[in-house]
Amino acid sequence: MAGDPTLIGRVTRSSTLGFVGALKSPEPEIPVFGMFCKCEAQRGKSDVLGVIYNINIEDDDLTRQIAAAERPTEEELADQQYVRQIPIEFEALAVGYRLTEAYFYTLPPQPPLALAPIRPMKSDEIVQFTNQFEFIPLILSASNLPVDALLAACLRKASVARPRQERQNFLLEAGRYCAKLLSHDLPRMDSFLRILCFEEKSAI
Amino acid sequence: MSEESTLDEFLGPKLTNTQMGIVVGGSLSSGLEVKINSKLSIERLAVGRYVVVEGRSGRRFFGLITDISLGSINPDMQRRPPDSSEEFVTQVYSSEVAFGSIHVSPMLMIDEDDDELRPIKTIPTHFSPVVEASAADVARVFGEEDETHFYVGTPLEMETVQVNLDLSRFVERSSGIFGKSGTGKSFITRTVLSGVIKSRLASALIFDMHNDYGWSVRDETGREFKGLRQLFTDGRVSVVTLDEDTSRARGSKIDRVLKIGYGQIQPEDVEMLSGLLGLSDVQVGALYYLRRRLGKDWISKLLQEDDSSELQGLLEDGRIIAGTLGAIQRKFEFFRRMDFLVPGEGDDALEDIFRRLTSGTSVVLEFGRFGDTLAAYVLVANYLTRRIHRRYVHMKNKAAGGKEEQPKPLVIVIEEAHKFLDPTIASHTIFGNIARELRKYNVTLLIVDQRPSAIDDEVMSQIGTRVTCLLDNEADIRAVFSGVSGVSALREVLARLDTRQQAIILGHAVPMPVVVRTRDYDENFYASIGVLEGNALRDGAIQGSETLFGD
Repeated sequence: MAGDPTLIGRVTRSSTLGFVGALKSPEPEIPVFGMFCKCEAQRGKSDVLGVIYNINIEDDDLTRQIAAAERPTEEELADQQYVRQIPIEFEALAVGYRLTEAYFYTLPPQPPLALAPIRPMKSDEIVQFTNQFEFIPLILSASNLPVDALLAACLRKASVARPRQERQNFLLEAGRYCAKLLSHDLPRMDSFLRILCFEEKSAI
Repeated sequence: MSEESTLDEFLGPKLTNTQMGIVVGGSLSSGLEVKINSKLSIERLAVGRYVVVEGRSGRRFFGLITDISLGSINPDMQRRPPDSSEEFVTQVYSSEVAFGSIHVSPMLMIDEDDDELRPIKTIPTHFSPVVEASAADVARVFGEEDETHFYVGTPLEMETVQVNLDLSRFVERSSGIFGKSGTGKSFITRTVLSGVIKSRLASALIFDMHNDYGWSVRDETGREFKGLRQLFTDGRVSVVTLDEDTSRARGSKIDRVLKIGYGQIQPEDVEMLSGLLGLSDVQVGALYYLRRRLGKDWISKLLQEDDSSELQGLLEDGRIIAGTLGAIQRKFEFFRRMDFLVPGEGDDALEDIFRRLTSGTSVVLEFGRFGDTLAAYVLVANYLTRRIHRRYVHMKNKAAGGKEEQPKPLVIVIEEAHKFLDPTIASHTIFGNIARELRKYNVTLLIVDQRPSAIDDEVMSQIGTRVTCLLDNEADIRAVFSGVSGVSALREVLARLDTRQQAIILGHAVPMPVVVRTRDYDENFYASIGVLEGNALRDGAIQGSETLFGD
């Protein structure tokens, strides 16, 4: 957000499974699909950790009218894109929480409250959290989500948070962990590894 | 980056100090399934290596890798393999989804609070870690070399560890040395016999078909190796020959020549040759009749060129027909060709050999050119063994009555043993009896053979210690493991031995089966037996002369 660069948005609704945040307009890199984010819960006692799996831009009557207009002005377009009346929503899947500096790889005890600030996780936090792969089953078990693409994207984010020389090994070990979970479904595993392989090439 | 570190990067860490994997299944009878560590390359493993399973209760289990296999979580993977052109994908698959596993045959166990090795009675629990046995672990199993434990080789890839054969147990029961032709059976036999003779635990009577044991022998490259007579120059080994000319031509030092008189041969000695001479059952039956009617000189009379009235009389009696008699006479021409068979009563060779054996001297019986004639070998081996065994039985019975000392244990070494222990004849030959009666009369066999499958099952089941070089015939492999429980998994190991200097030893004289690289039969070996050569010999002579005559 323009005023606070460490803030992605604020919670509009939440559950232990995840939370939805809203912001006025997006920055080029915030929020993005697969991004790790955190949000205070239990009155600051814990942080719920999530990965963003959906970014939703809704329309309104005026947007529809301008879209149908023959020649919208630059000012009208900029007004609709960056000074919106209806906020942009993003949805995050809860993949763990942090309590007294320790990471837990299960669903949080309590969801964040409405309007709680949602912030991106810093690189060192991402590295620390993803040193263990137990968050992966939470992603793979989510229903009605593009879990394979989401998992590949967040593994890529976790790899680029690491020094260059560690990235390949991280993706390899993560890939092996995923393969164990997906081994019952070889076609799905193949397609997931193809995505991850692409991520691996672009991350190195 | 050095070549070694590049290799390590490719193959994974070396085995030393690395957990090889964990136990994931198995049974006491069929062995353990071990899933190998994903960081370890399966290509670093080999059948025949020792492993230690660290049981959860503190027990340690010693075992042998008997098989290596590739597995996968999903059996569909074989029909739907990953794209092998993508290195990343292949690497991901090659650990958890596709993995290596080893089959381990547990052999011994050590309790936590007891340092003693015990035969395996149970198996480790699921997920017990498996590590490669260290040199110290293996050394502990095979003990130290001493007067009755003889160093015969080293476990594979453990050059610092000695495998010591318990010779007192080795001579206690009949033993076998098996292997395809050209796999080094004779060298191993010579090595083991050196140990037996050195230990003085038993005398050996060696029927040396190919002149391999008494005096020097050359290998394919022309390198010369010492025979037993050269290793033991103190009179502990005598060489007796059937063919003086060949022995002298080879430069072999001989102690006496064996001549067998026609009068000494009994129908039982000839019966064993029936297959080789082509004697029918009727003809074999007639031999006993002829011996009874013709007396001691029965063979001489049958070999007479001119018509004998005595033979004519037999035909007239009608107890034997002319065709049978004629056939026997024709087949007995074989005796005439064997120069070591002489008309008359022969000499006292048998008595002399017996005396040497009972006084602790081993006897190598060289066959010279007669070694190529199987019938000669079978005849002489059967002839001597029957008589010596009979005397041992007599001595043993007298010893039981307190009238004589126990006879010195005797090991009779026969080559091409299947000719003596064929299932059709083993039950009624002296060799079959010796194999079955174990150490009852202090006489045991050491059979050297390339076709163990042709040996009678009952005899094979009584073989205490088996030293087996490479065998690739399925029936032979099965035969080697017959009568030994819990080692059938070793057949994969056996079929993959190197063609030279590798053998698997199992049975009575070793605490657990072991694949060895057999000891080199070279100057170091001679020295360990006590033979001095070159400078050492000269120094010994100088020292001896100084002791005798002063400076």
